[in-house]
Amino acid sequence: MLKYIIISLNFIFLPNLIFGQEKAEIDLARSAGISSMALPAPLSGMSGMSSNLPDISVIGDFYGKASNSKDDTVKDKLTIRSIELSLQGYLYPEMRADIFLAMHKHGEIVEAEICEGYVSFLKLFNNLSGKIGKVHVDFGKINKVHQHHRPYVDQPQVITNFFGDHGLVGEGASLSYLLPLPFFVQFDVSAWQIPSHEHEPEEQDVTGLIDADGNNIEEILVPGECSEFGMGGGVYTSRLWLSFPVSGKSELEIGASGATGQGSHYTHHKDEVDIIGIDVTYKIWPSAHTRLLFQSEYLKLKRVVPPGELNRRGFYSFLEYRFNRYWDAGVRYDHAENAFPVLTKHSSFSGIVTRHLTETTGWRFQYKQNFKEPDNIREAYIQIFFGIGAHSHPLE
Amino acid sequence: MFKQIIKLLILFSWFLLLSNTFLYAAGKVEVVTTSGDLADLTEEIGGDRVKVVSLSRGEQDLHYVEPRPSMVIKLKNADLLVKIGMDLDIWVDSLINASRNSGIVYGAKGYVDASVGIMRLGVPSIKLDASMGHLHIYGNPHYLIGPQNIPVVLENILKGLVRVSPGDAEYFRKNKNEYLSKFNRALSEWEKQMAPFKGFKIVTYHKSWEYFAHYFGLEIMGNLEPKPGIPPSPSHLDSLIERMKTEKAGLIIQETFHPKRTGEMVARETGAEFLVLPASVGAMGTKNYFELFDYIVKEICSSLK
Repeated sequence: MLKYIIISLNFIFLPNLIFGQEKAEIDLARSAGISSMALPAPLSGMSGMSSNLPDISVIGDFYGKASNSKDDTVKDKLTIRSIELSLQGYLYPEMRADIFLAMHKHGEIVEAEICEGYVSFLKLFNNLSGKIGKVHVDFGKINKVHQHHRPYVDQPQVITNFFGDHGLVGEGASLSYLLPLPFFVQFDVSAWQIPSHEHEPEEQDVTGLIDADGNNIEEILVPGECSEFGMGGGVYTSRLWLSFPVSGKSELEIGASGATGQGSHYTHHKDEVDIIGIDVTYKIWPSAHTRLLFQSEYLKLKRVVPPGELNRRGFYSFLEYRFNRYWDAGVRYDHAENAFPVLTKHSSFSGIVTRHLTETTGWRFQYKQNFKEPDNIREAYIQIFFGIGAHSHPLE
Repeated sequence: MFKQIIKLLILFSWFLLLSNTFLYAAGKVEVVTTSGDLADLTEEIGGDRVKVVSLSRGEQDLHYVEPRPSMVIKLKNADLLVKIGMDLDIWVDSLINASRNSGIVYGAKGYVDASVGIMRLGVPSIKLDASMGHLHIYGNPHYLIGPQNIPVVLENILKGLVRVSPGDAEYFRKNKNEYLSKFNRALSEWEKQMAPFKGFKIVTYHKSWEYFAHYFGLEIMGNLEPKPGIPPSPSHLDSLIERMKTEKAGLIIQETFHPKRTGEMVARETGAEFLVLPASVGAMGTKNYFELFDYIVKEICSSLK
């Protein structure tokens, strides 16, 4: 009987004793600040301390605006623009999931949404990769970049005018092919489903319109427009992205993008939409912590509505200098026509200063002078953005 | 006209495809490293049977290398990736994914994390957060400046090269052993030169000289940064200057990419020597590890004499 009790006690205590001995050794090594690692440190997307946890992070974007506009309903407030929770990790070798859940504030209303959620197939076949889910569509340079990761507080007006406040975001799939060339050339094709908007016309009859080429359209049959234009329904996009080093310290990127589909209020307007864009990015790194960045995108929209065809254009150019690890200063010029039958032309100039605390945390000040539509409106923005936890984005 | 343009485009595509084929078909093992140090060590082992490209330059701060699309092509054509690991070159992860090269992904035979097996310093034993500055969860990743780690790093690179080119195993092993012998001889000389300064107190800008100091017996009594990655503040510098005077710290060291003003000011206030040193092969004109350590040891010795 005693023998069984001793054996049982061994089973109960021996594992703990062994574990305790190992633990003591580990603690001793740790107290000396020395240890060695038998396996490589995991990649981003695998670095959660518990072995089966994805990378988890929270990104906050606080925002304030001052303006001399009497019509601006969001001015003189410091508010939470969005809180984003990201969960990122591998599902299978060369297959990962990236989920970005966001709480966005629209006026006084906070809305929860899946900002992005997709599965990436890092290698489908040879140089081909793919993605399925909801994503910020790979159109141009800035559309796919999350707001907190952009180098300015607001969105370039041409993106807002042609794609809406949130840019071009769709649910669907994309294929991306890296061409077997000595320099970087990537070609993407995608098919997306974008929810159409419910129509809430601000006015029913509009007359005396003029299109971008200065032609009068006398009999207007299109119903009144909503305040926001975008693409909806089935949307097909493609992008060609080239990049090559100009020198050891500089790189030039050139892109061409296209999107074809319907307007977001298609059921009401029966509008077919084609948008093409070209973008240029040039970066020079004079030293380890300094960088000069020039980025410009030009977009052209063709909107075919039953009474005729609207052609609209817009562009932005952004120049930024990074003085050191902590400070950036830049300027941006925007010029954008709207996508509506009543032609308006927006132009503005912004000065932006950013103070980085870490890669994902910092604050930003932006002063914007609107020259046209609205005329002579001055705006000042302040943004505080922060990140907690391991957060990563694909190459942008 | 349209047909002629199409023909020209097709011809141009063939030219690009063929040139690409010839460029990468020279029969050498294509290696991409994330730092100049690793490129040098890989070239020493691989000899004329490898072609090595580093994604960063020696004077760059390896925390802040910006991924570029052109780097994707280098990784796309690589047989072997040698990375520093321990989260220092975390910027390479998005490039690996974009390269669609399954031969160099984590766990593949062409993936080498050079830090595996080194004796790591500064491994946190408590939960980390950003209030402590920019800390790395796997420990201090600036291990390539510590000569004690070079044998382990060489072995990791050797294993990687042998995995991707087993036919050259003997050649690589011979090169590695020869290099290690040469390195050990040089190390003895550096040890002799540094021996008189064991126990000397020094200050560094960032926590990047811990492995070097640990090996040569220097005592790092503080950093110009109050916490890793946080810029020096007046109150921190005041307290550091007082401590340096009390504890007689005689040397301030920093890398080339940090601003010099702070170190120069603290040196003036304390009477300490101020040195800007290369921390990676390629910085300040150093071409290999021997030149790098020769430079560092010579400068430190002449400052502390």
